[in-house]
Amino acid sequence: GGGLTPQATPVLLGRPGHPEQAGGHPHRQQQFSSLEDKPQFPGASAEFVDKLEFIQPNVISGIPIYRVMDRQGQIINPSEDPHLPQEKVLKFYKSMTLLNTMDRILYESQRQGRISFYMTNYGEEGTHVGSAAALDTTDLVFGQYREAGVLMYRDYPLELFMAQCYSNVSDLGKGRQMPVHYGCKERHFVTISSPLATQIPQAVGAAYAAKRANANKVVICYFGEGAASEGDAHAGFNFAATLECPIIFFCRNNGYAISTPTSEQYRGDGIAARGPGYGLISIRVDGNDVFAVYNATKEARRRAVAENQPFLIEAMTYRIGHHSTSDDSSAYRSVDEVNYWDKQDHPISRLRHYLLGRGWWDDEQEKAWRKQSRKRVMEAFEQAERKLKPNPNLLFSDVYQEMPAQLRKQQESLARHLQTYGEHYPLDHFEK
Amino acid sequence: MAAVAATGSRLLGLRAAGAERRWRRLRGAGLARGFPQSASAGHAAVQRRQVAHFTFQPDPEPQEYGQTQKMNLFQSVTSALDNSLAKDPTAVIFGEDVAFGGVFRCTVGLRDKYGKDRVFNTPLCEQGIVGFGIGIAVAGATAIAEIQFADYIFPAFDQIVNEAAKYRYRSGDLFNCGSLTIRSPWGCVGHGALYHSQSPEAFFAHCPGIKVVIPRSPFQAKGLLLSCIEDKNPCIFFEPKILYRAAVEQVPIQPYTIPLSQAEVIQEGSDVTLVAWGTQVHVIREVASMAKEKLGVSCEVIDLRTIIPWDVDTVCKSVIKTGRLLISHEAPLTGGFASEISSTVQEECFLNLEAPISRVCGYDTPFPHIFEPFYIPDKWKCYDALRKMINY
Repeated sequence: GGGLTPQATPVLLGRPGHPEQAGGHPHRQQQFSSLEDKPQFPGASAEFVDKLEFIQPNVISGIPIYRVMDRQGQIINPSEDPHLPQEKVLKFYKSMTLLNTMDRILYESQRQGRISFYMTNYGEEGTHVGSAAALDTTDLVFGQYREAGVLMYRDYPLELFMAQCYSNVSDLGKGRQMPVHYGCKERHFVTISSPLATQIPQAVGAAYAAKRANANKVVICYFGEGAASEGDAHAGFNFAATLECPIIFFCRNNGYAISTPTSEQYRGDGIAARGPGYGLISIRVDGNDVFAVYNATKEARRRAVAENQPFLIEAMTYRIGHHSTSDDSSAYRSVDEVNYWDKQDHPISRLRHYLLGRGWWDDEQEKAWRKQSRKRVMEAFEQAERKLKPNPNLLFSDVYQEMPAQLRKQQESLARHLQTYGEHYPLDHFEK
Repeated sequence: MAAVAATGSRLLGLRAAGAERRWRRLRGAGLARGFPQSASAGHAAVQRRQVAHFTFQPDPEPQEYGQTQKMNLFQSVTSALDNSLAKDPTAVIFGEDVAFGGVFRCTVGLRDKYGKDRVFNTPLCEQGIVGFGIGIAVAGATAIAEIQFADYIFPAFDQIVNEAAKYRYRSGDLFNCGSLTIRSPWGCVGHGALYHSQSPEAFFAHCPGIKVVIPRSPFQAKGLLLSCIEDKNPCIFFEPKILYRAAVEQVPIQPYTIPLSQAEVIQEGSDVTLVAWGTQVHVIREVASMAKEKLGVSCEVIDLRTIIPWDVDTVCKSVIKTGRLLISHEAPLTGGFASEISSTVQEECFLNLEAPISRVCGYDTPFPHIFEPFYIPDKWKCYDALRKMINY
């Protein structure tokens, strides 16, 4: 089960047709001839027109939003139902809810001064899980910072999420980065970095390398609609198209970049409309519909690998939480707006309705799971709290593969300094 | 005042080679100016472009690496790239215009030899070139990126400094982009002005996590570039463009490496230490000869080769011996890399110094066009600074 019927294939916007001449540049017209009154420009494949007419961008009727379920979790068009088995759909549900539970506890822990910083994923769990489920487990993931559900779906242990947020001895990142900057080599999730959109051209390079290696893998690159304004996004899209890379660009359009609403972020029809400008096959989906996200990602993956070309998926969603623990979004949006999304259009609720409708879930299981997931999170949390921080020598390693002589001198200098002034430093919290 | 001039090095005007030959014949015939004078003979003659401010000094033919071939600097780069792509099937070369051979001919023949999936053009976007290169390296393949002029590296500054340099550290060594090398033409060329002459090494010196390497010659270039490509850290390799054709020497055909982070004492001496890198090494070599001839002063000449991590020990050992240090680079004085060397040396060798450390550098201006002969730290400025140091 789980395969798509031909009719279930979502409609993807094709790229403008470029007649591929034998051995020729796709933009070049037929053989050059000065007798023909047809355009000969190398830069575009188009006909002449003798009426002055500007193209009016259409933002009133934008690119339509593909969905499978309505807001109550009912399948709208049965031929689009991916018919996923119960076990898989339950994994979707449990991943999203476990993430939600972890988010609540870690957000609170920052408020209490236990960790320095946190970012929640409220409202966007569907974008993470639907897409992650449609990939191979070895497909490389480049994220921005609000994709923890991808790691959750790939069974990243709670202990390691917490270890990174606490920067404790168990952190695979060796305590070097702020919370939520996860990375996992084993699960093919490239370590998060704070600068926005820098991962986009990098993901394209990784996809190119995968293509050269005949790896039959796709690279997926997540970013928000705000990051899509960065030059690196433009660079990534253009490189992916010209170099024919097997990559899925996955944009989480959640309505805000910190306090900046989309009306101040762009004037065109969102991110999906930019795709054809680069020659990218593009689609817009309901990001709060985990099956829509799944279907689109699955089909994009199949074709990206088979045809060595990039795909752009714009998943419309809503950032229910604040940007981070450093933000109070009541300063720039109404509580009513947030409540609408929390109550009326939430990926977890919609999937729960679907599960209830199928008879795959009930209130008792819900109660038991809430208790169990909370317990798991609390246990991991308490463990993470108790652990020491890594040895301060890890401040100095991994700058280069080998430690340069001058850096070793600096390391020795700190060691000597601590011998005399150690009492003024929190050495008790760090591994010796 | 009429300037005796000859054509300067012309890297892109290959057709000018013909004019150059005509000019040389006329000059040999005793005419100071080979082109027709204006009717008013007393009027100042039309200025010709200046001779180069340096004389390239080839090193002796290397014996230990097998058969050698006469190569100029761009050919030695091509040779290194050829060796790399032959040895490492994952290696790819990309950037603007590299497919047809590159604007400086460094990649000529490689696309035909290794295929269009391995030597290819990218769109015109430096931040994309470097970001893309990082991604290739993260995936475990060897990425050799070209930035067409070092003056245009700045759009990629974020990718280099915030991403490439920090990839290993921030991930706890789970990920790295060590197999990334960025190559870029660098330094003054006689007529490059603001945007074809820059030496931006100081911007990158301030960035732990990358290596910055600058060769003085074809033999050095090939060995250092091969080391950069093999090095497990992201490297920037700046190629002195004025040397691409002007520097010719015997270079081994087979691959070989020259260690990074090791300066080279190319001439031993006892009275003054002179430190430079790239083209400027040839300037200070000449200054050393001038000092010997005119002042009886014995100079120790050091080519730094790697800017970061730099070889503090070799420079300090030399200054402890000589007691005097002169550092010279084309890049502007303030915040230039000579500041770092000077600061470290005065910390480590304070009691050995006989005179303040001298820095002979470009002025704190953008790199000018017509004023280049006045701007650059030429041998006269270096000589004068050395003389003052000796007399301190």
